[in-house]
Amino acid sequence: MRGVSAHYDEARVLDEVSLRIGEGEVVTLVGRNGAGKTTLLRCVMGLHQRMTGEVTFAGRDISTAAPHRRARLGLGFVPDDRGIYAGLTVEENLTLPPVPAAARSSGSPWSLERIYESFPVLAQRRRTSGARLSGGEQQMLALARVLRTGARVLLCDEPTEGLAPIVVQRIGEIIRGAKEHGVGVLLVEQNVRFATTVADRHYLLAQGRIVRSLDNTEVREREHELLQYLGL
Amino acid sequence: MRRSWSAPSAALAAIALLAGCGGGGPGSGGGSISDDGITLGVLTDLSGVYADLAGPNAVKAVEMAVDDFKKKHGDKAVTKNISVISADHQNKPEIANTKAREMYDRKKTDAIFDVPTSSAALAVATIAGQSKRLYFNIGAATTELNGKSCNKYTYGWAYDAYMLANGTGTEVTEHGDRNWYLIYPDYAFGQDMEAKFSTAIKSAGGEVVGKDATPFPNDNFSTFLLKASAHKPKPDVVGVMQAGGDLVNVVKQYQQFKLKDKDIALAVGLMFDTDIKSIGQKNLAGTRYTTAWFWNMDDKAKQWSARFKERTGVTPTFDHAANYSAATQYLEAVQRAGTDKAEDVAKTLDGMKFDDVFARNAEVRKEDHRVVHDAYLVQVKEPAESTEEDDFTKLVKTIPADKAFAAPSPDCTMG
Amino acid sequence: MTSFLQQAFNGLVSGGFYALLALGLAVIFGMLRVVNFAHGALYMLGAFGAVVLSDSLGLGFWWALLIVPLVLAAAGMLVERLLVHRLAALDPLYNFLLTFGIALVCQDLMRMKYGSHSQPYAGAPFPGSLDLGLFTFPTYQVFVLCVAAVVCLAVWLLLTRTRIGTVVRAATERPETTRAFGIDTGRWVTPVFGFGAGLAALAGVLAAPMRAVNSSMGADLIIIVFAVVVIGGLGSIPGAVTAGFLIGMLQALGNLYVPVLSQTSVYLLMAVVLLVRPAGLFGKEEHA
Repeated sequence: MRGVSAHYDEARVLDEVSLRIGEGEVVTLVGRNGAGKTTLLRCVMGLHQRMTGEVTFAGRDISTAAPHRRARLGLGFVPDDRGIYAGLTVEENLTLPPVPAAARSSGSPWSLERIYESFPVLAQRRRTSGARLSGGEQQMLALARVLRTGARVLLCDEPTEGLAPIVVQRIGEIIRGAKEHGVGVLLVEQNVRFATTVADRHYLLAQGRIVRSLDNTEVREREHELLQYLGL
Repeated sequence: MRRSWSAPSAALAAIALLAGCGGGGPGSGGGSISDDGITLGVLTDLSGVYADLAGPNAVKAVEMAVDDFKKKHGDKAVTKNISVISADHQNKPEIANTKAREMYDRKKTDAIFDVPTSSAALAVATIAGQSKRLYFNIGAATTELNGKSCNKYTYGWAYDAYMLANGTGTEVTEHGDRNWYLIYPDYAFGQDMEAKFSTAIKSAGGEVVGKDATPFPNDNFSTFLLKASAHKPKPDVVGVMQAGGDLVNVVKQYQQFKLKDKDIALAVGLMFDTDIKSIGQKNLAGTRYTTAWFWNMDDKAKQWSARFKERTGVTPTFDHAANYSAATQYLEAVQRAGTDKAEDVAKTLDGMKFDDVFARNAEVRKEDHRVVHDAYLVQVKEPAESTEEDDFTKLVKTIPADKAFAAPSPDCTMG
Repeated sequence: MTSFLQQAFNGLVSGGFYALLALGLAVIFGMLRVVNFAHGALYMLGAFGAVVLSDSLGLGFWWALLIVPLVLAAAGMLVERLLVHRLAALDPLYNFLLTFGIALVCQDLMRMKYGSHSQPYAGAPFPGSLDLGLFTFPTYQVFVLCVAAVVCLAVWLLLTRTRIGTVVRAATERPETTRAFGIDTGRWVTPVFGFGAGLAALAGVLAAPMRAVNSSMGADLIIIVFAVVVIGGLGSIPGAVTAGFLIGMLQALGNLYVPVLSQTSVYLLMAVVLLVRPAGLFGKEEHA
């Protein structure tokens, strides 16, 4: 994943944003509500129609590729509402995204069995409707679902929002686990403290622009100031 | 989700409004004839369920009457400028109302013809009364037009619910099927038919053991047929008052439920040759009904029907023949009166006795403007009995003009 | 009691037609977010298909039952590819108008060709009656109910037990997210539209032996089917089927016990459902 530069015309939600995520790198995107974080993820995924600029992935220009093509190349999307299908069972939710042939042959570390081992709660409830899971379980399901496809970069939109601390901790473990396997993660996060436990770098997004790039020490040192800025 | 439904309904409303507009034709212009000519307006169902039995060919029947009139009178005709215009009322009273006003006021129409669907016909009669122009009802069956709602500008030319009920109801009851179950569509025509049939059946010594008003339109009559067959006392005959597609539905389902095998006969209130074609002659063979006219009833009718078929490609229904008859008698009345002034034409018509391709032993009754003429109780032929195309019916009995229609209603005051 | 059961059964038969039509409508709406106003026209064309096959090619009912739905499914796919597809990105209103226009064109073409009176159908199978223990019923109508039930069940199994079904259900629930999961939902749009069209055509063929076949038969029926779909929950497949059978029964029993309400009962129910559960009996509120 090389770099993203995107903007809109008319109501500009994103203005010439550029960022890159390396292999095994976790990058967070922090910013106030309405700063354009979610839109940025949607642009990367190809879900936003009116976008200019360039999105490249593993050296390939995918700016005009359809969303499903991008997913098959290795982009894993975890939307802000977690994207769990109420009409599908847990297992149907998990196995819905196809595993690309490339990922299958290279032996993804996240087979269905492995997922059920790591998330016994999902194994127990594999036949229940996705709607009947708790928020934390839904978030785990959403992450497990994209990991199973062997995605090389995850796009996670506020995965910890509204979750209990213990669950947040578990999410952190999953992300760090993915990182160990060389998966890059673009994390939209309001929970700054959580972000520093998983991320390598942080971008501050304001009014559609990246106004600052910070590392973990900077974030820790200026946490108070940052929280104030974010209005939290 | 609610939002996405309101959008299509808005669109539907817009389309419905658009569909309501359009149609019509030019007026014309000399002499003792107002606006320099005579305009005959055919207001009918040009595209809906009655478009085949009336519809565009009813317009052609009136045009044919105009052509025949011109040929007959040549230079002696009261005017050479006679035109025919038409409009689609879609069987809706509110559209009929608008179109009739437009015809009388803007298009200088002297007389309106046809108007199937009773509620629409009643609307047009009201406008005719207000506009003081003539209206010849052909297609609507309601007796109200010559009863409670009569006026001196409106004539009932072809048939009415009394004629149908009196013929079929009386005859079938006297034939031995005394217990009736009536299934009728829940609108003006059906209600009128139900009332007239009930009266006819009772006065013939029979009884209406059960009856059901049905939705309109409707494609599931099984409910009512089941009810009828389970009814105590058991009816001898089911009388169905549906028309057009609904009649086809009810007869198809009557056959599937095998009511005939349970000794429950079928009687049909109103039937056109187009209905017999739709249901299939063999499915209806033996069914008795009453009609005002049928195309091969005698040589006079047959000759005219051949000319009509040459012109239109179809065998005429009684509605077509009656439109021709009314237009012809109207034009002759204008010719005799020497003017198209409605009151003078009406004076010429009132009490007139005539015979033409449609009506036999006919008289235009002065009291209520009902045209009385012979009616016919007929029976659908077995396919083997048919000798030519569209030869569906045979005569059982001619009901003479003085018996075929009710006496003038005391409710009718023409003023 | 027997009469009650017989009437309820009769209601299920007409409910079968509603269910087949509502099912197709629901599947199409789910996948395309298009309310297919041409659905009634497809039903009408299905019935005409049976008549034409019988009259001009001498092919009986069983052939019609096989050929007509396939032909109209193909026609439906063609329409989706050539027309509906082009408007997909715009406001759904454009496709409402398009399909409404298609319905009017089909209706008028059939009226020009065949007139407005009903067409006779000679190929009706099963002329007899069947003894169902408590009552006898026309064999053909029992057959219609069986076909409707089997088809609805088969569609249900297809949707719940197969990969295609999972994908269709997923795309119905969240069209956008599903694409982001590597599924080319666009690939399924055309077949699904064709499938819905085929279901309507099937209902039309089934109607030919027991109902009047004319150009307006679909227009009259589809209004009730829209009410069925709203009651069941727009886009909900079990909702469409259940509401279809339910309303068939309600109408039949309504005619028996409260004939005054027979014409309005469906719309009353729709109003009540919309007030109490705006998303329909089986519907879920739309995601933002």
